[in-house]
Amino acid sequence: MLRRSLLRALPALTALPALARTAGAAAPARSTLRFSWPANAGPLHPHLYAPNQMYAQAMLYEPLLRYVEGGQLAPALATAWRAEPDGRGHVFTLRPGVRFTDGAPFDAAAVVANIRALLARPERHDWLALVAQIEDAEALGPGTVRLRLRGPYPPALMELALIRPLRFASPAVLRPDGGISAPIGTGPWMLAETRPGQHDLFRRNPHYWGGPPALEQVLVRVAADSNTRALALEAGEIDLAYGTDQLDADTFRRFAADRRFTTAVSPPLATRLLAVNSARFPTDAPAVRHAIARGVDRAALVRHVLLDTEPAAGTLFPENFPHADLGLRAPDFDRAAAAALLEQAGWHLAPGERVRRRAGRALVLDLCFTGSDALQKSLAEAIQGDLARIGIGARLLGEDSATCLGRQKSGDFGLIFAETWGAPYDPHAFLAAMRQPAHADYQAQRGLPMKDEIDRRIGAALAGTDEAARAEEYRWLLTTLHEQAVYFPISFLTNKLVHRADLGTVPFGDTRYEIPFDRILPRG
Amino acid sequence: MTGFALRRLLSLPPLLLAVSFGFFAMLRLGRGDPALDYLRLAQIPPTDAALALARAELGLDRPLLAQYGAWLADALRLDLGTSWFTRRPVTAEIAEFLPATLQLAGTAMLVTLAFGIPLGLWAALRRDRWPDHATRLIAFLGVSVPNFWLAFLLVLLFAVTLGWLPAMGRDGPASLVLPALATATMSACVMLRLVRASVLGALGEPHLRFAAARGLPRRTLVGRHVALNAMLPPLTAMGLHLGELIGGAMVVETVFGWPGLGRWALQAIANRDYPVLQGFVMVLTTVFVLGNLLVDLAYAWLDPRIRLERAA
Repeated sequence: MLRRSLLRALPALTALPALARTAGAAAPARSTLRFSWPANAGPLHPHLYAPNQMYAQAMLYEPLLRYVEGGQLAPALATAWRAEPDGRGHVFTLRPGVRFTDGAPFDAAAVVANIRALLARPERHDWLALVAQIEDAEALGPGTVRLRLRGPYPPALMELALIRPLRFASPAVLRPDGGISAPIGTGPWMLAETRPGQHDLFRRNPHYWGGPPALEQVLVRVAADSNTRALALEAGEIDLAYGTDQLDADTFRRFAADRRFTTAVSPPLATRLLAVNSARFPTDAPAVRHAIARGVDRAALVRHVLLDTEPAAGTLFPENFPHADLGLRAPDFDRAAAAALLEQAGWHLAPGERVRRRAGRALVLDLCFTGSDALQKSLAEAIQGDLARIGIGARLLGEDSATCLGRQKSGDFGLIFAETWGAPYDPHAFLAAMRQPAHADYQAQRGLPMKDEIDRRIGAALAGTDEAARAEEYRWLLTTLHEQAVYFPISFLTNKLVHRADLGTVPFGDTRYEIPFDRILPRG
Repeated sequence: MTGFALRRLLSLPPLLLAVSFGFFAMLRLGRGDPALDYLRLAQIPPTDAALALARAELGLDRPLLAQYGAWLADALRLDLGTSWFTRRPVTAEIAEFLPATLQLAGTAMLVTLAFGIPLGLWAALRRDRWPDHATRLIAFLGVSVPNFWLAFLLVLLFAVTLGWLPAMGRDGPASLVLPALATATMSACVMLRLVRASVLGALGEPHLRFAAARGLPRRTLVGRHVALNAMLPPLTAMGLHLGELIGGAMVVETVFGWPGLGRWALQAIANRDYPVLQGFVMVLTTVFVLGNLLVDLAYAWLDPRIRLERAA
């Protein structure tokens, strides 16, 4: 009876591979790279933010100047540039012969049209000092454009390299209401198709000024879950996973051990850290902040939680960032020294107690993280354990991301997870944001006796024209923040890539959000 | 019958009104600041000025009833607002994602029926023999396994190891197989148990002994007197399964990258995208009510007593 039933089921089983062949028939040609991302690319407006995905904006739109790893700038749509003597004007020579993908020429008029469209709604770009600094743009000729600033602003060139908002769409698609009628840029890719919730298809720009990419198409499939992405990669349904957190550390390590796949980790791109609140009990006491700096085992966090996929961070910014190579070092992990610091500051551990007290107050702080972020949760638990060993109690508060953001804004935290913004925002744009009360950094620093001076010196570092003086301001700022221990850097964020070994050569982009699809060289 | 259907349809608007107000109030009165969520999704630094502007823009500075009134007025014109995250009309997004969810939930329902009814019947007719024990074990395992975990197991086996079926996406009939199986398993196993119990109940009815004594063949006994009578409780359960299947699709759609309403809603929950959540609840309520209406109509069609009672 059982055998008969199984025999009856056999034809259905044999039909399954046929179904698979049907599915496989729809698979794209070899010249198509299949990638995945948690969301659709969005409307792809070059000047706007969410839901526009930065990797996709960078595929379509280009900057005047390009950021190169290490903090240098290279020509992109501008071949040459010079600052005017008063420091307020920058003149750019535009690359000749560049066209938008609708055939319109990229010229000074296009640059001016885009910048004026941006300036028409400056409130959207409050966070970026450059937008507030730009007075106007004017065409000096078809291939020359001048950017006029309200005052000297040395980071201007670096901010021109950002993925958004200072990139250029064809003037024909800029609408008076601030939107765009179609995503048309000068970049190596064109958006060919969008299916909400399913995929975005990019085709190469055959007339790209830098030479068309080797790949013909990039198909970006929408997969919100990192496990789904990993399984799709393993099943051969996507060819590449790339990003800071597109695969969890454990999965990445599994792929690294699998000979069928090639894996790589980029140089440091940003910093994963805890902001330590200097304006709130008990971290308002420098001794407590310094005890945390010495009492949490950063190396163990990197080894056991991050599984060595990110290097340990001893400073707020990686040393390969501009102005950040100052020789600063994090204090060595030393639990006894951390406990001694607390003892000296009057925090004593009574026999049988687990938490230190001073004048009747328990040494307990709130450690806040995004509850849905498994990595933050694991890090928080490990840090809680380390703090407990030196007699500091940590209440773990795992909440939704909006509540966490609310805490960052109000300063209602003891320790809270944060990240720096990465190149080319770091360090100058990140430092600039430290002056805004809406940021965790402002709240973390609010209790420092030198906070006013920090804010003043940030202004000086951003607006000064003397390069040596600016470097000195950066040195003072980064050293002071380091010494005051208002940050506990955990690790430097890296991009991780995994692809099938037969795909070819996949390089890393120069910044966190740029994926260099145009430089991927498929094998064969 | 028509009057019954009309009465049920007329009960839909007040129900939707009550649900919409209840959910609207819960979202606004719950923890957190909607303006802060809005700015976070738009990636605008939440300065005090930006918060004030967002509150005015979203009407959050008005009384709750006034906010709801404005939403309702738009909703009556089928305008459910604009997603805070994608900046697209919620109605357009529902129109895009609903067909995929209905396809998945519909297929899962078919799998539920195709698996649950025959196996339940088989188990009951062979009570306490190996088919009964085997199906009970399957049912026990099926209701115990979380659907997301089963989904990953199915992908590992059929997509990664055997390479027979796609691991993700919605590219033809093959891509529907695994998501439908993962969605349907729990409902199918519940259905199996229900049909088995229901058939066992029907087998013990006195009229069946009488029919057997009249010499009716077993096929007629089972087909007409047992199966049809035993279908009423599972039919009622189908209405409930509909909600369960759409709810279960939330997680399964995420695992399989299925472009449906469930994954869309799950992202909206993570993003606290209030207009999307409100729209999703409206759709879910409508589908649930209409699904149950269909079940009630089928119930009346199957059982003449109900039909006649209502006619009287």
